[in-house]
Amino acid sequence: MKEEIRIKYVLKRSMKRMNATKSMILSIAAVIISWGQTFAIEKYTDPAGVNKRIEQIRQSAPGMVRVDKMAVSPGGREVLMMVIGKPGQAAVFVAANMSGTNPVATEAALSLAARIAGDEALSKQLTWYILPLGNPDAYSRYFSQPLYLDPANGAAYNEDNDDQTDEDGYNDLDGNGIITQMRVKAPDGIWIPVAGEPRLMRKADPAKGEKGIYKLYSEGTDDDGDGLYNEDLPGGTNVDANFPHLFRAFDRRSGLYPGSAPETTAILKFVFSHPEIAMVFSFGSTNYLLAPPQGGRKGSVDMDNIRIPEEIGKSMGIDVSRSYTMAEIMDYVQPMLPPGMTVDENMIASYLGLGAVVNPMQEDLAFYNEISSDFKEYLKKKGVTGERFDPAQPEEGSFEMWAYYHLGVPVFTMDLWGLPKPKEEKKENSTITVETLEKMSSDEFLALGEEKINEFLKARGAPAQYNAKMIIGMVRGGQVTPAQMAGMIRQMPAPKSDDKKGDPKEMARLAFSDQKLAGTGFIPWKTYKHPSLGEVEIGGFNPFIDTAPPPAMLDSLLDLQLPYLFELVKRLPRLMLTDLKVTEKGGSVYQVEAWVTNEGSIPFPTAMGKRNKAPAPAVLTLEGTGTEILSGKKRTPINEVGGKKAVRYIWLVRAPKKNALTLRLESKQAGSDVRQINIGG
Amino acid sequence: MKRKRIITAVALTAFVMFTLQAQEVKVPLRFDFYYSYEKVVEALKALHEAYPDFTVLDQVGKSEEGRIIWALTINNPKTGAPLSKPGVYADGNIHGNEIQAGEVCLYLANRLLTNYGKVKEITEVVDRNAFYIIPVVNVDGRAHFFSDANTPSSNRGIRIPIDDDRDGLFDEDGPDDLDGDGNITQMRIRDTLGRFRTDPEDKRLMIQVKPGEKGEWTRLGQEGIDNDGDGQINEDPEGYVDGNRNWGVNWNPPYVQTGSGHYPFEGTGIRAIADWIMARQNIIMVFAFHNNGGMYLRGPSFKAAGELPQGDISVYNYIGKNIEKIVPGYRYLISWKDLYSTYGDFTDFTNTMLGSYSFVGELYQTETETFDGTPKRKEEESAVFSESSNDEDRQRLLFNDNVTQGELFIDWKPYKHPLYGDIEIGGWAKMSSRLPHPFMLQDLVHRNASAVIFAAQQTPAVKMDVFEVKKVDGDLWSIRVRLANKGAMPSVSFQTMKNKLYPSDVLSISGSNAKVVSGGKITDLYMNLVDYKEYRPGVQFCQVPGMGKVDYQFLVSGRGSVEIKYESRKAGTITQTVKLKPEP
Repeated sequence: MKEEIRIKYVLKRSMKRMNATKSMILSIAAVIISWGQTFAIEKYTDPAGVNKRIEQIRQSAPGMVRVDKMAVSPGGREVLMMVIGKPGQAAVFVAANMSGTNPVATEAALSLAARIAGDEALSKQLTWYILPLGNPDAYSRYFSQPLYLDPANGAAYNEDNDDQTDEDGYNDLDGNGIITQMRVKAPDGIWIPVAGEPRLMRKADPAKGEKGIYKLYSEGTDDDGDGLYNEDLPGGTNVDANFPHLFRAFDRRSGLYPGSAPETTAILKFVFSHPEIAMVFSFGSTNYLLAPPQGGRKGSVDMDNIRIPEEIGKSMGIDVSRSYTMAEIMDYVQPMLPPGMTVDENMIASYLGLGAVVNPMQEDLAFYNEISSDFKEYLKKKGVTGERFDPAQPEEGSFEMWAYYHLGVPVFTMDLWGLPKPKEEKKENSTITVETLEKMSSDEFLALGEEKINEFLKARGAPAQYNAKMIIGMVRGGQVTPAQMAGMIRQMPAPKSDDKKGDPKEMARLAFSDQKLAGTGFIPWKTYKHPSLGEVEIGGFNPFIDTAPPPAMLDSLLDLQLPYLFELVKRLPRLMLTDLKVTEKGGSVYQVEAWVTNEGSIPFPTAMGKRNKAPAPAVLTLEGTGTEILSGKKRTPINEVGGKKAVRYIWLVRAPKKNALTLRLESKQAGSDVRQINIGG
Repeated sequence: MKRKRIITAVALTAFVMFTLQAQEVKVPLRFDFYYSYEKVVEALKALHEAYPDFTVLDQVGKSEEGRIIWALTINNPKTGAPLSKPGVYADGNIHGNEIQAGEVCLYLANRLLTNYGKVKEITEVVDRNAFYIIPVVNVDGRAHFFSDANTPSSNRGIRIPIDDDRDGLFDEDGPDDLDGDGNITQMRIRDTLGRFRTDPEDKRLMIQVKPGEKGEWTRLGQEGIDNDGDGQINEDPEGYVDGNRNWGVNWNPPYVQTGSGHYPFEGTGIRAIADWIMARQNIIMVFAFHNNGGMYLRGPSFKAAGELPQGDISVYNYIGKNIEKIVPGYRYLISWKDLYSTYGDFTDFTNTMLGSYSFVGELYQTETETFDGTPKRKEEESAVFSESSNDEDRQRLLFNDNVTQGELFIDWKPYKHPLYGDIEIGGWAKMSSRLPHPFMLQDLVHRNASAVIFAAQQTPAVKMDVFEVKKVDGDLWSIRVRLANKGAMPSVSFQTMKNKLYPSDVLSISGSNAKVVSGGKITDLYMNLVDYKEYRPGVQFCQVPGMGKVDYQFLVSGRGSVEIKYESRKAGTITQTVKLKPEP
């Protein structure tokens, strides 16, 4: 029975057909790399299955993989974490499917864990914390009927703020097991079908004399009789919106406060009790490897241009009409503080109420961009050619946003699959592009003929007076070459896309469904007699068409992309003691010199880590009996070592007798190192 | 090791000095001494034992060091269960050193219980409200404030270790009670190049040298040594996570605001209290007691939050202005505007997430420590950055000498410091500056508990009046219902309505043989204007304004009787059955 239900699902159905036709082409991967996987993925794993596979991975590598119970979701599902690697090492925290709407993400995390458990070398110097399913309640919807997408966990939440909770969810009116849309002809309708593609809808533009025909609803009835449809769905909080960075209070799926969901609390607690976490990796809907995090939000304070609020300025006795650098303010405040108290940036930021950082730090974008181009190069080398839609940017309150801004460690994300961009259907007569035009000789151009040239001019939106006849005349007369013409066309504004077409992403979904899913990704509109809306049509996209490629694609997607993670972790900062030197200064006084070198290409810490001071400090300790440190500290915090850079530390030491000094570098995230120095005598 | 010995010595001294009188905890409670954490627990148990029917004693949760946070609920079961009445919540001592806040809470409980049935207004306020009282929020902080050597301001935070100096070690270099007197005071060294000289008016005080004057002293900060040998003194003391910056509303990380904790509700006790109060959705009035300054603060606590809705400001103003009179000298102020911006505040949380009118009561004004009894107003210039002594300090020393026989200030005494050599140690004692001397405590606890009682008298008191049951025609009846509120607070705060925090009050009508044809709010009773609700007319969502009323009309078709029900999280439930009688 269960299997029957599952078979109803469009994507699975389509997968079977595709296997039969063998016509499947990967969206981003054309090359399948073989990997020593023990099994091929045939279907997506449901939440209970995820925990079974976690147990299987643990048993596959006895003594190597530990499984920790992190939390129990409000829906009663266990959130499990795999730990692979020895204690005391730097670690990577991998979290997946925090919104519960990304089936690929969970498969990726499980596959990653299996690969690491299968190759001891991968965890020899690095511990992996892998959480394959951060939001099991939401993810269980992918395996239930009717099928719909909602990141809410199993907590109850009264979305419409009435006297009942979770009382008006979707209804599978047409009984096809999938929640789609309803379109209804209505006097206040704003939607019209797309010309040439009546399956899709677009907004009518009254300015162009278009009148809307349809209203769109999600599939369902007004269960609670309040005049609204599907406005109080079962479920509460999106774990991936419940983290404390740019938390959206009173948003429908945010939760009451950051960390209100047990799944979130567990991660907050875990991460702050594991300072060895040097990198965070997230499988979800963003992809920092293809699209590094973007800035542009209002509110980040420019530390070189700080305005002091009037009330505070008054009490400090400082001129508020100008702006200050952070250093200036620190110099100003230091003498005002009680003795023994040293001013620091946070103290000032806190006192002046400068607020949180909301945009990625410029210096961090340097490594993000560098790694992104490296990843693109990697994909190219693997033979990936097709274009895909850009990955999403992170949502406010999301796991990856919080990880970057609050932990101060490098954070990378992967979505592993994106809707392929449909190839532009090239009409036979429109073979001219600006690029080809540029390279044409005058004769070649004239050979195209009047019709094709007119076609091209029209497509480029050239003004009416520039018709083919006139241009041909000019080229014949030698007044203009095709290359010059190309230059002129480049100066012109780009041709407007046809706004009568549907949304490009919806067009792409439809193309994907038609070409790769045998049309099953879109459920055709069918009339239905709705109890309160009257005659409606029900139809639309499968809700998971963007996030759940057919399972048969998974092996190759993961084999292609997951190995890059093992390249990525090689860039982690690793601090070493190098170039130790002792110089005798006379009178049994010695200068001890050491360089701390970062062998990794990612800086320690990140610029954000420098700002939020969250990463555990690296400390240099100088020890030795019978010696006295004249200058320098016994314990020296290492504030910052750039990627592939070195910083010099010196001490002045008095050692009347022969002695051995121990120089110890200790960092939870970037490794440790010990060196002995003989001194004195 | 050395520190441990010092702490033990201090613990003894402190115990002897301030709790000697408090050997017996009996109801009615005494308020001429400060209760240690253990004594607070004893007092709560004593109150519970004395009034078992009127009180519930709950273990809310445990602190980082495993101490129990206790809550006392005061409720008259004969007038209904706690959740059926407006809830009035008071807590104190979220900052470990701000101990008199705990005494205010204990006094409030003691006052209500011991005067119930004797004093009319107290009887009424107890009958009509449920009181929730957590005298000590930061139980570890209070315990350490009593047992350890402290300044008047130390041991404020909750016990989550933080590596303040980022050297990989946690809380390894706090102040040390070098002279073993149970107080962390100040160190100074003779220095002709120093910035200070002895105040000619009182040789215990120092004043800043002016250009051309000769220096006499350099201040060396709080008593202590360089415990971790890093060349800094007292740079990594206990904590610091501030329990009152760790709440999940507008919370910001520590680099934005020192002491906020790694994430909201990191404090185990803070989280436990949050869960406890969120399970008591009837709470509509919150007081959180702190010291000091003599202020009653309302939110918002930072500017960007925007002003509160006007309707709520009116309620705050009404209560705040009255409290200014109940507690003379105290000012009613707005947190961010008149003090400073904070994020993740407790009272912001209760105002925003619990829908409760919330005040911070900053107890005590050192200005009242005067020899001649007239309060000395603070000078206009900011005292925040001032190191120099002023008239207030001189007054306070006169007070110390003549009114407290020298208990508050520890005279400078020579000390041989391992790093600085010959220095002097002295200054204001732990139990000074932010705390009233016990002889002034009775007045403080009574007036501030009275502020809570005044506010409790303003909680919504909603009455339902079915003022019209009229036959329109055939089976059709017109029923008019009035909800009137005698309290100053509306039944739902305006902020709650704005944020759609929870469904507002529900007024519903139903009957087995009746169909609700229409229903809505009467917008003009005389003009017969009704704002009819299109869907589900039998269920109306409403807010009953403070000291006001709201009228509803229902058109019901049917026979027999109908039940009219008003349900409010904060103002209780009222049910009335109305008979649809044929006209005689």
